[in-house]
Amino acid sequence: MSSTSTPSDQPGPGDRPRVPAQGSPSRPSAQSAPTASASPSAARSGPEPVLRLEELTRVHGSGATEVHALRGIDLDVFPGELVAVMGPSGSGKSTLLTIAGGLDLPTSGRVVVEGTDLSAASRKELAALRRRSIGYVFQDYNLIPALTAAENVALPRELDGVSTRRARKEALAALEEMGLGHLADRFPDEMSGGQQQRVAIARALVGDRRLVLADEPTGALDSETGEAVLALLRTRCDAGAAGVLVTHEPRFAAWADRVVFLRDGSVVDMTLRSSAESLLTGGAAS
Amino acid sequence: MSGSGGTEAGRFHAWRAAVRIARRDAWRYKGRSALVLAMIALPIMGVSAADITVRSSELTKQQQVTRDIGAADARLGSGGMGHRPLVQSPVNEEALPADQKQDESEQARDEADSDVDPRTAIPAGARWITDQSTYARIRTRSGLLDTSVRELKADDPIAAGIVDLDRGRFPRSPDEMIATQALLKSSGLHVDSLVRVRGFDRAYRIVGAYDLPSELGVEELTALPGAFIAGYTSAMKAAGSAYEGQNGPPSYLVSLPGGYSWPMVMHANSLGVVVESREVRLHPPARADVPFYRVAKTSTGVVQTGVQKAETVAAPVTVGALAILEVCLLAGPAFAVGARRSRRQLGLVGANGGDRRHIRAIVLSGGLVIGVVAAVTGTLLGLALTALLRGWLEEYVGKRFGGLALRPLELAAIAGLAVLTGLLAAVVPAVNASRQSVLSSLTGRRGVRHAGRVMPVIGLGAVCLGTGIAVFGSTRTDSVMVVGLGSGVAELGVVALTPVLVGAFGRFGRWLPTAPRLALRDAVRNRGRTAPAVAAVLAAVAGSVAVATYAASQDRQDHDAYTARAPRGVYAVSSGSDGGRELGAVRAAVEKHFPVSGRADVSRLVYGPRTCEPHSYQSGCGGFELQVPTANQCPSERVDDPTQLSLAERRSFATDWRCAYGGGQVAMDTEGDVTVGGPAVLHALGIRDGAAERALARGETVLFDRRYDDHGSLRLRLITDMAKQQTDDRTPSGEVRTVPVHVAGERTPYGLVAVMPRQAALAAGFRTVPFGSYYTTSRMPSGAQQQALAGALANFGSDAETYLEKGYQSKNHLVLLALSIFAGLVTVGAAGIATGLAQADAEPDLKTLAAIGAAPGVRRRLSGFQCGLIAAMGVVLGSLAGVLPAIGLRRAQLREEWSTYHTAVDNGWGRADSLPHVPIVVPWGTLVLLMLAVPLGATLLAAAVTRARPQLTRRADG
Repeated sequence: MSSTSTPSDQPGPGDRPRVPAQGSPSRPSAQSAPTASASPSAARSGPEPVLRLEELTRVHGSGATEVHALRGIDLDVFPGELVAVMGPSGSGKSTLLTIAGGLDLPTSGRVVVEGTDLSAASRKELAALRRRSIGYVFQDYNLIPALTAAENVALPRELDGVSTRRARKEALAALEEMGLGHLADRFPDEMSGGQQQRVAIARALVGDRRLVLADEPTGALDSETGEAVLALLRTRCDAGAAGVLVTHEPRFAAWADRVVFLRDGSVVDMTLRSSAESLLTGGAAS
Repeated sequence: MSGSGGTEAGRFHAWRAAVRIARRDAWRYKGRSALVLAMIALPIMGVSAADITVRSSELTKQQQVTRDIGAADARLGSGGMGHRPLVQSPVNEEALPADQKQDESEQARDEADSDVDPRTAIPAGARWITDQSTYARIRTRSGLLDTSVRELKADDPIAAGIVDLDRGRFPRSPDEMIATQALLKSSGLHVDSLVRVRGFDRAYRIVGAYDLPSELGVEELTALPGAFIAGYTSAMKAAGSAYEGQNGPPSYLVSLPGGYSWPMVMHANSLGVVVESREVRLHPPARADVPFYRVAKTSTGVVQTGVQKAETVAAPVTVGALAILEVCLLAGPAFAVGARRSRRQLGLVGANGGDRRHIRAIVLSGGLVIGVVAAVTGTLLGLALTALLRGWLEEYVGKRFGGLALRPLELAAIAGLAVLTGLLAAVVPAVNASRQSVLSSLTGRRGVRHAGRVMPVIGLGAVCLGTGIAVFGSTRTDSVMVVGLGSGVAELGVVALTPVLVGAFGRFGRWLPTAPRLALRDAVRNRGRTAPAVAAVLAAVAGSVAVATYAASQDRQDHDAYTARAPRGVYAVSSGSDGGRELGAVRAAVEKHFPVSGRADVSRLVYGPRTCEPHSYQSGCGGFELQVPTANQCPSERVDDPTQLSLAERRSFATDWRCAYGGGQVAMDTEGDVTVGGPAVLHALGIRDGAAERALARGETVLFDRRYDDHGSLRLRLITDMAKQQTDDRTPSGEVRTVPVHVAGERTPYGLVAVMPRQAALAAGFRTVPFGSYYTTSRMPSGAQQQALAGALANFGSDAETYLEKGYQSKNHLVLLALSIFAGLVTVGAAGIATGLAQADAEPDLKTLAAIGAAPGVRRRLSGFQCGLIAAMGVVLGSLAGVLPAIGLRRAQLREEWSTYHTAVDNGWGRADSLPHVPIVVPWGTLVLLMLAVPLGATLLAAAVTRARPQLTRRADG
């Protein structure tokens, strides 16, 4: 995937890893980016996207109370890619994420995760997909208070019927890999917010899951801790996962390979991260 | 990808995770867990304690034998059949003559023979002691007490285990006795008191207190052998007292090496001796070796029919099922609160791939965890409670336990009920929680949770079906069971319909002030949460109201069926012994202690010696019989078998005055219910009949039962010797005396058949013997006055019979109060839990209220009204659901009684004065208490325990 180095322990936008500009099959071309559609993949060859959104619309309510949360969104997210979604409040960022994760269903359009069309999946199949393919990270209160860090990470595997011992082993391995092994037996209320978010990322990727959907994962954290969390997310994506990050903060969006701007449910702009920085400094997200 | 979620092992692992979350959650929210735990564990504690108590009071054979015969090998006693050989059962001492062919007169002669001496069956070399009892009347602090006096050397090693000496010591000399604790308690005597026996001039000192381990309530004194019975019997014989001859035959406790085997028992039986053998009890002989079973061909045991068995099983099962339903309804909302509070957590599980099955498993695991803990806690507490209250329980059961008997399987089954209850209580919250979308759980969007639509439809169906069955039962059949079944089904239907009914209450909202309006709207909009709590209250109140209605109706029935023996406040005192010699002293005592306003002396009609007691069958005592003229006899009495008569004839008896016997009970029991006295007797009994009074004044007998009227006279057949009359079955053929009578209009008032002036009795050749007095009182004598009089009468050892007419005494008010309190507690509990649930939901509303400037008190008022509303809705619905089945049951009972009555009429037994009477009374007092006091109490309580200020929630730090 990525041929560049991973973030250091004290990351920052300055020493952020470089995105492979060309030759990488996982990158959308820069030319295709700044269009209303975020899905340029129709004629693409190479690996399949982990997440594909096609002509996605979501309408809440009906009649006088009708609200168009999403209007015809197209987006592909490939393995090794971290896509940031930005936009003002009510622009449809979170709706996009919940539909991508199968927590909500689109009014029209298609959501395909690792080849499975979510619109056609049963409720059980959706749950199974969340256990095996999709990981979520929310703004706060991500962990189940009654379970230790290791048990939280092991939960999706246990729910999937994996034996407790094996699930724990996998969870410990995941925590170790992210340098969180020492937190394994702590309960959420014995950890800091940053630690909790990092454990949540570990949980989002335990097993064979390759899609991380993070909804403002740094919203409740101070900036330094937020950077550390983003660095971890970036590392996991560089290791092969696909990530979608909803954020308000341009400096966190700068960790992404692409930034998608939403307004009133439509993609108004899309940029590669390098261009994103200039866009951001130009105040595009404000 | 690993996908073992669907396999058995996979399900197990997913359940393990669910149980882990539930277990830790239960521990985190200790208050709520403890509440639910208590609700489930308390009934389990009661049931397991009851089980342990019942099982502990069942003794092993060895323990039972030791309590019966001590350390002896056998107890030998007379079979009561003289020297005739007998056969006995090896399990108890039931005995039958070995030869059944002997005719009864021969048997009677044998019984009258001098009884067999059981000592003839004691083998050589055996050691034995005697055990014999008699009855005596001892003087106590407050009067006289009939008690058993036993002669047994209780401290002999042979008797070890029969008595359990609690304090003091065993008797050492013939003037010492030991007494049971029960006797000391009821007599007011104590260790070291002197016991005096009426009619016997010796006094005994009580030197110890003991218990009979299997009969704790028995009042008994024990003296050394030869110390009491012989002397007492001769003293009684000398005084000609009725207490003479009440001695049981002596039995012998025998100790012999090798025990008393079954062949030895059979040998003793051949001598007419019955044996209670330790060896035979512990190792009974084969059935074929027991001649008793061949002789006793018919079983003496009561065989339950299938229906009876079913009823025996059905009652506790129904009560148990209702208790589980009630606990589920109460605990259900608590689990719903839990699920609602941990909504975010359940949402996270959903986001991490938990499907509905997993969410259900987590909430159900909450029920499982609390159920298991409740099972263990309840069982352990039950055991501890039984161990702790052992002494009290033994007193209550009436026997000492053999030890704490634990039946693991039974206790496990009882504990299993706790687990089942926990799981059942969590089912509905689990299903509801799993239906929540993951998204709304995560975002905390509240929305309005509508109740399901299926349950109300099922409920409506059940209500219609149940009502139909109940109406059919009470109008077309006479089966109480059918009505009960119908009512049960309908009530479950009402429980299922609760969400819809709760919705109906919402219409009242617009007229209410802010806090109650908000509470009502919230309750109605969130029916899914309100309904279980209302249903719990409904079920408890319906049950209580149904029982209360039934009890109040039964109370009215008992009241109407009560027959007074005299007008209220009238006191009757009579003394039949010694020709009424003590009456002077008795009357003086009554007049001293009671607020007496009038007195009517009565005598009794005696034919023969005046010292004979009323109804005495002693040799030499005479008597008489009132004669019913043939024309006045009920036609059914004239034939042996009424079925020989036509149906019309048999039915006609129901309205025939000759077949209606006068009702009522007399306060003074004279021969033939004929009272000798004047007009004062009528005055004292409140019988206002001028003609009767005038008749008495002119010396004419007043007859209250016209069946005895033979053309203006009463015929009395004389009996010269009652003892002979008793042994001779033929109709007495004595002389008949005729007394002219005035027939009164009122029929047998207070059981009186006739009042005869003294001169009329003398003219007919009878003696009259003073018997007692009727006293009218200016007010009902108080408890203290009654005790003072009883004490005064006891002081001079009076045998006087006394009766104070207090009117009907209801025993039901305590039942009604207990039911009201029970229903009230359940109501407050259920409403409280539901209020907690509402509070958990309403936190954002309360914050909004606070933000727009509502006073802190609004929070309290809202919480109070939420609680009160649930209580009110439950109580109103429950009262309706309770009164109706009770009325149905009473109607079915009435039909059943009419049906029995018609059968009786058709068979010629019907009586016009015994028409079925099953009144229906609604217990308004209980209903008012429930409908007003309970919701008000719930409102105030909830308002009092609610925090006025909102709680600040902690924000996660970064």
